Amino acid sequence: MNQNTDLLTLRSVSKSYGTVPVLHDIDLSIKDGEFLTVLGPSGSGKTTVLRLIGGLEPLTSGEIRLDGQDISRMPINRRPFNTVFQDYALFPHLTVSGNVGYGLSVRHVPRKEIARRVAEALELVQLGRFTDRFPAQLSGGQRQRVALARALICQPRLILLDEPLAALDLELRRQMQEFLKSIQREIKTTFLFVTHDQEEAIGMADRICVMQAGHIRQLGTPHELYYKPNCEFVARFFGENNLVAGKLGSVQGELRSIETALGRLVCSISDQPHLKTAADGASAFAAFRPEALHLADAKDTDNRFSGTIADMAFAGSSTVATITAGADHTGQRLRLRMPSRVDGSTLKSGATISLAFAPHEGHLVLA
Amino acid sequence: MTALPRLSTVLLAAITTLVAVLLYSPLAVPIVSSFFTIAHGNVDWSSPTLATYVALAENHDILAALRTTLIVGVCTVVLSVVSGTLLALYYHSRRSGRSLLQFIIFLPFLMPPIISGLALLIFFREIGLERSLLTVVIGHTVFVLAIVYRTVLMRLQSMSRTLVEASYDLGATSWQTFWRIVLPNLSSAMVGGAILAFALSFDETMITILVTGTQSTLPVRLWAMMRLGFSPDINALVALILMFTVLLCVLAARFLIPRQVATERT
Repeated sequence: MNQNTDLLTLRSVSKSYGTVPVLHDIDLSIKDGEFLTVLGPSGSGKTTVLRLIGGLEPLTSGEIRLDGQDISRMPINRRPFNTVFQDYALFPHLTVSGNVGYGLSVRHVPRKEIARRVAEALELVQLGRFTDRFPAQLSGGQRQRVALARALICQPRLILLDEPLAALDLELRRQMQEFLKSIQREIKTTFLFVTHDQEEAIGMADRICVMQAGHIRQLGTPHELYYKPNCEFVARFFGENNLVAGKLGSVQGELRSIETALGRLVCSISDQPHLKTAADGASAFAAFRPEALHLADAKDTDNRFSGTIADMAFAGSSTVATITAGADHTGQRLRLRMPSRVDGSTLKSGATISLAFAPHEGHLVLA
Repeated sequence: MTALPRLSTVLLAAITTLVAVLLYSPLAVPIVSSFFTIAHGNVDWSSPTLATYVALAENHDILAALRTTLIVGVCTVVLSVVSGTLLALYYHSRRSGRSLLQFIIFLPFLMPPIISGLALLIFFREIGLERSLLTVVIGHTVFVLAIVYRTVLMRLQSMSRTLVEASYDLGATSWQTFWRIVLPNLSSAMVGGAILAFALSFDETMITILVTGTQSTLPVRLWAMMRLGFSPDINALVALILMFTVLLCVLAARFLIPRQVATERT
């Protein structure tokens, strides 16, 4: 399995329902063997991308290529992909083994081989004891695993998962995330996973494709998206973030300054050439994570400003301070996240403090 | 719901009982009296007997009518289940003309039976179709089609669309999807619809009188018997039909409750 070859390519794919466009000119390459998550708020077009690839909907324009071959018009039942539906879509009149074996049985695979492969697939999803149950007799997590076994038994090139964890409670969702990831590693099949939950995306994906309003906003590793968002939408949507509006200033090597209400801030622009070439005075945001913000000490020479603590919120392992900063300590709201301590925080609401973040932990996003 | 005060609970129970007795006790009379002999128009309560049932079993007119009713019922069920299911599938697939189609299907069911019957009678005469059991079956099918159609359509509409999508996704053809996924999920609705259709056909009198030839079905026979005067075997007949109808209702209810609900209880 070579992670560098493209399994599936979408080229300027558009989709409209009647006159309502839902996808605009999407280009996306899915690498063989990767776990790619499509992340976006509801209405972003993420499920449509999955339905187009699966063949559940026809394209309006553009093409989909599998191993370089155009499959845009290939009927759904010929495509070597299988889907795990959001509502699982288990056949209520068939048992667990009937459901899992369905894909083989419609292809007229001999009974003995179906029985053997069904047993294998159910073993893989740890449901070996449930072969004769009906879907109505299973819990949510078990149905989910039956749906997964049913999808992977046909040995598809790509497994499409449409928010499969949305209906599960938090604890079960965490377990299933790990479970899905471990299965994907074991069978080495490409997974395309659609979700609106960014924590889920960070935890599972090799790469994440962030979508909004029918456009792909950014495609990259979770680390890239978290630390180098390329637009305001990704910076805000993907994890907690502090964004401070300003005008771009001068470039100094891998750093660039920005004039903001908090004064002159300096942020990293490494590996982001478009930020190096952007015009002076262009509108932009300085972006820094709540965990990058800290109480300033003598070593902090750059990115220093003062603020007033509006609120302290204990959140278990960490404590989050909401801070108002800026010229008169009213304009800009910021968040500061620090590890919690058993004897409580030294910070109190109403206190005025001096804050800073390191230049390499700050980033710039064009407005 | 919060508990009602004690007095109103008792009152409610009393009213319910009264209504039930008023409405349903007339039904009990022929059942009870079917087990006694009738002399000079009065029921002789002193000696319970099965004589009326014996008389009924020897009444060849009644037995012939029963046979006719069953033949008509079975033919009507087959015809209405097949066509009702096909029409429901057509409607569900969102092709053109479907609201007009639905209107036409419901029309004979909602019209007064005498109008439907007369319309059919005139139609059969115009096309030169002799009145026979065939015309009765056609008449009944037109009448009960709406019930089968509605029952199957409701099940189709409650079936998740992703079931069909999942079947295609797993490589099935349209034909396989229909036989292995759609039809099995409709089957209990089809059985339920069939039982209701049979019950309706069994009861149908007005259309039958108008379009039948020389043979009469059970209700038509019963009606003819009533005109000639009260005979004790009518009680037995009513009692048997009542029991049969109750059985059909129980069966229909059983099949019309979706499978999922039924298995979740186990």
